[in-house]
Amino acid sequence: MTCSIARRWALKGALACAFAATLGNLPAVAEDAVLRVSAIPDEAPTELQRKFAPLGKYLEAQTGMKVVFTPVSDYAAVVESLATKKIDLAWLGGFTFIQAKIRTNGTAIPIAQREEDAKFTSKFITADPAIKTLADLKGKTFAFGAPSSTSGSLMPRFFLQQAGLNPETDFKRVAFSGAHDATVAFVAAGKADAGVLNASVWDKLVEQKKVDTDKVHVFATTPPYFDYNWTVRGDLDPALIKKLTDAFLKLDPANPEHKEILGLQRAAKFIPTKKENYDGIEKAAHAAGLLK
Amino acid sequence: MHLKPAERDPASQPRFYSALLALFILWPLFQAAEVSPGALFDPSNLKVIGSFLSGFLPPERGSEFLGYLGKATLETLAIATAGMALAGLLALPLAYLASAAGREKPTLNPLIRSLLTILRGVPELVWALVFVRVFGLGPAAGVLALGLTYGGMLAKVYAEILESVDAAPARALRLNGASRPLAILYGVIPQVSKELASYTVYRWECAVRASVVMGFVGAGGLGQLMDQAMKMFNGGEAASILITFLLLVFVADLISSGLRRSLDQAPPPSAAPFGPGSTGLLAIFVAAVTASFWFLDIGFGALFTLESASSINQFIGSFFPPDLSAAWLRKVAQGVWETLAISAVGTLFAALAGLLLAQARPRLLFNFIFNALRSVPELVWATITALSVGLGPFAGVLALALHTTGVLGRLYAEALDNAPAAPGRALRLSGVPSGLAFLYGTLPGAAPQLIAYTLYRWEMNIRMAAILGFVGAGGLGQLLYFELSLFHYAQASTVIIAMLLLSIAVDQTSAWLRRRMA
Repeated sequence: MTCSIARRWALKGALACAFAATLGNLPAVAEDAVLRVSAIPDEAPTELQRKFAPLGKYLEAQTGMKVVFTPVSDYAAVVESLATKKIDLAWLGGFTFIQAKIRTNGTAIPIAQREEDAKFTSKFITADPAIKTLADLKGKTFAFGAPSSTSGSLMPRFFLQQAGLNPETDFKRVAFSGAHDATVAFVAAGKADAGVLNASVWDKLVEQKKVDTDKVHVFATTPPYFDYNWTVRGDLDPALIKKLTDAFLKLDPANPEHKEILGLQRAAKFIPTKKENYDGIEKAAHAAGLLK
Repeated sequence: MHLKPAERDPASQPRFYSALLALFILWPLFQAAEVSPGALFDPSNLKVIGSFLSGFLPPERGSEFLGYLGKATLETLAIATAGMALAGLLALPLAYLASAAGREKPTLNPLIRSLLTILRGVPELVWALVFVRVFGLGPAAGVLALGLTYGGMLAKVYAEILESVDAAPARALRLNGASRPLAILYGVIPQVSKELASYTVYRWECAVRASVVMGFVGAGGLGQLMDQAMKMFNGGEAASILITFLLLVFVADLISSGLRRSLDQAPPPSAAPFGPGSTGLLAIFVAAVTASFWFLDIGFGALFTLESASSINQFIGSFFPPDLSAAWLRKVAQGVWETLAISAVGTLFAALAGLLLAQARPRLLFNFIFNALRSVPELVWATITALSVGLGPFAGVLALALHTTGVLGRLYAEALDNAPAAPGRALRLSGVPSGLAFLYGTLPGAAPQLIAYTLYRWEMNIRMAAILGFVGAGGLGQLLYFELSLFHYAQASTVIIAMLLLSIAVDQTSAWLRRRMA
């Protein structure tokens, strides 16, 4: 009787093997007429999906391709996906663009950025009335966004260093909330004494009344720097790159349909950008020790 | 109370000194774990956790959210099932190679054994974090991570089970000219098939729990939802996810114990190897695996192209050589020490709490509490404890302690029930207070087993402590997360090696301690 059980399990194993083998042989479906898009998850992935929907439709109309948006929850995975050609177009931060540039041997091309991204800032926030300047942060717990966020980690770290603060030694503890809206939640809930996030998300949360400004307030703002852009991988068809670039630059706030797209992207309009715009970020990343 | 010399514990002096010695050893660990019970009752912390927990009611029931929840639940189940199928595929040949069963000269294949140690020693979450980079986000990373870790685990246990039985039948077959596979198939497997099957089913249940956690690094399923809900302090959503999760674990538990029970029953004698029952089971099994792979829609084909092979190669290559500079090693050593402290202190707290609660009545109520405690994964506990005591290693200690209390409480209760009852009864009958009767009558009988369980749990907790840092609870985890995020693979590599060495060291220490105590 044990023998029959053994045979049963042996057979089950064999069947599972056979099944997995067939799976392994299935061809990978690679549709050429699909534009695969992703974005660094600087906000909750569901929010990103909501924001992208109308833009995706617009890009479909402009390029004649099917646009598929993959929401992700890890910054570095977007960079890696671009480098391994799993996605074609990505919304990147300044620092993730530099990472992508390095990992694609300089072939990734930034095609457009929001007008706002040319002079982007980060806001330092706290719910503690005793914290009034950056120097007051000594000995406190502090929340960054994701480690590879430009406005939630790199540039604030750079400016903190310039103010003479080393996050590793001067803060009681450093936390990484993972996203800008989560940083606000960390500070509002008291999980961190203070935190830093990108100005655009802060303004949005204030506008939407998703943050109690009597409690959580801004106590410092960074100097401006270049941030976000839309980047394509360099080996994409140049005609397609041109189409995509034009599509972004053509978005016109006077057109109500375009206005909705721009509103969701929190952009006045899109402007051309180039790799050199991000050299400053690269230098800051080296100075802050985030690039080796 | 003044005792006459005859009534004094004759072993009191060595006991006192060994307790003192233990305290002396543990003190630095307590320091490193930043144990501060006061933080639990700090008014500002109480307010934070209070307002978060009050958000749990009512649980979120919006139809959009329930849609996400349903999909994530299926995804979690599918990741667990597909991962186990992969683990089984991996484990069979590895166990065959590693095991001494059916060999003429018993050799312990050191190459395969160390491969198994590496597969098991690196926590599945770390594999997932790495695979997420190679294969992109989504369930493929989770399935592969589970497949590797559980493959290593299954292979080791399979190999040991095969060695544990009477070798005579297999030897007889070999001496008569049978090849090794046939000798194992007909000489060994019949003796151990039930044990193999039972262990596999039990592991599937563990895989369900593990696949929930995968989501914390972006590998899909319930964990990803939980991570977001926790980060945004959305209590209602967290409550719904937690309830779903408890139900899922409960059902997996039920299926697993049902299957294992049915293995205990002898099937009616029949000439056909496949009765209707086993055919049905087989069909369900195949259907479940098929459905899992179909649902997850993993393009495994894409993994085996030349291009992805070269990108994987390049990716693995970037981890070598590991960064062994003095400055970095110092930082990693600090993380190792903190991780060790979290695991040891967390396990100790759980052992104390488990011992106290194991004897508590009514038993049914406490069994329920134990089950609830152990159903919630450590990482989820850590997101909650980080709110109630602030970020840092103490949050990790509490998270480990809560989960482990559930596990140990249950095991302790069973061990104490099975301990010889006579000494305790004799003491009580001669008028000794019941507390002392327990300490001197019942406890010594069960002690070896209690210690073995505790040490075994410590081995698991060291792996857990290594990754609690992903949610800000100290230790090596945060270091790894940070360095991987920045593509500092040489540094990440050092951290992974440190995790591996730490878990091997703890395994060895625990095995040595168990041998000493046995």
